Amino acid sequence: MVHKKEISERLAALFSLKVGNISERLEETGREFFCANNKLMDEDEIADLSSEFVSLISALLSSKDPFKRTSPQFHALETFFSGLSQRMLMRGGHVEDVVRYAQQLQYSLISALEADSGITFTQSRSVLQFFAQHFDELIMAIFRTYLSERENTLKAQEEELRETSTPITEIWDGVLTLPIIGTLDSSRTMLVMEALLNRIAKDHARAVVMDLTGVKNIDSQVSHHLIQMVRAVQLMGSDAIITGIHPEIARALVSLNIDLTGVTTRASLSDGLKEAFLRMGIHVTQKAN
Amino acid sequence: MAISGVHLTRIGKGNFLLEPRRSMNIQEQNMLMREIVAAVQQEQGERLYYDLDSLPIIDQVYYDWLDKLARTCLAMNIKMICINMQPTAAFTLSKFLTGKPVFETALAVPD
Repeated sequence: MVHKKEISERLAALFSLKVGNISERLEETGREFFCANNKLMDEDEIADLSSEFVSLISALLSSKDPFKRTSPQFHALETFFSGLSQRMLMRGGHVEDVVRYAQQLQYSLISALEADSGITFTQSRSVLQFFAQHFDELIMAIFRTYLSERENTLKAQEEELRETSTPITEIWDGVLTLPIIGTLDSSRTMLVMEALLNRIAKDHARAVVMDLTGVKNIDSQVSHHLIQMVRAVQLMGSDAIITGIHPEIARALVSLNIDLTGVTTRASLSDGLKEAFLRMGIHVTQKAN
Repeated sequence: MAISGVHLTRIGKGNFLLEPRRSMNIQEQNMLMREIVAAVQQEQGERLYYDLDSLPIIDQVYYDWLDKLARTCLAMNIKMICINMQPTAAFTLSKFLTGKPVFETALAVPD
């Protein structure tokens, strides 16, 4: 431990003397990964990036215990790489670019230190090990940020898809339509049901037309969810009309012994709307010329 | 009409509105049912609107109470209609309900 501490103090001393030169050398690495083909950064940003990195690494090396990965100096470096990862992903970059940049930056840093100080750091096992351990942890921070960003993007996309795949529209005063498209699983049914029931309460909808034209397959669990949804709508005091049942689905419902007593079904959405209007005493007629 | 735990109001010819209060004790459902049905019958009521507005959840115990009251009403030729059911209540009730309930449901008391 004493040996390691001596090395890190020497490195810190070298950094404080040659900060400017090292920063310029490191800019090359940034240009290679973020300027060459993908144009993710401009020259000024690369310069700022390298300069910030040098000041952070310098702060780490001159800190009380440079080996400590819980120190504020190391945390600042982690935040630097996390921020960089986030920025690059937002600009359409790949995580590989950031990881390769971090790896290359490690080698460039050691070479720069060696060139400036005249000390053969590349021959020193302890120096290489010191940087390798730290950079491994920093690469982990890049991946953590990438995964977290990816997860957030997927969640947002999923949420958006849910909202757009189950649009509840008030097609007439008191008449709601719900076209269901795609697969109806348990979690989606619960979300649709929650949205639908709240909408019935909010709009005082007297009829709900659920269109299944976009549903191609149905299984036992889904059909039970569907009946449960119809029942909940009826309990709220609204009429539930199911339309657009494919022959395949009708056959499946029969073979699954699903009780459709009390469930109003119509062939098409148009027929379903006519039924809803009829129940509400609305007559739609063509205007005479 | 003074019935312990509920508020029963005549809201038109043959129509009654039943609003349960917080103090309503469904453990004493036999007495409650007797009093409610007697009051409606005395005024020649035909429909009993049961307001569920204050109930966020309807569990099996409460559903049994609604079921019994609806059956008792039916026996006296009174139609029970549950109104203002909350989305959360409809959701929980639909989960354990296997068939059509004895009572009818409506969004609100018709104009």
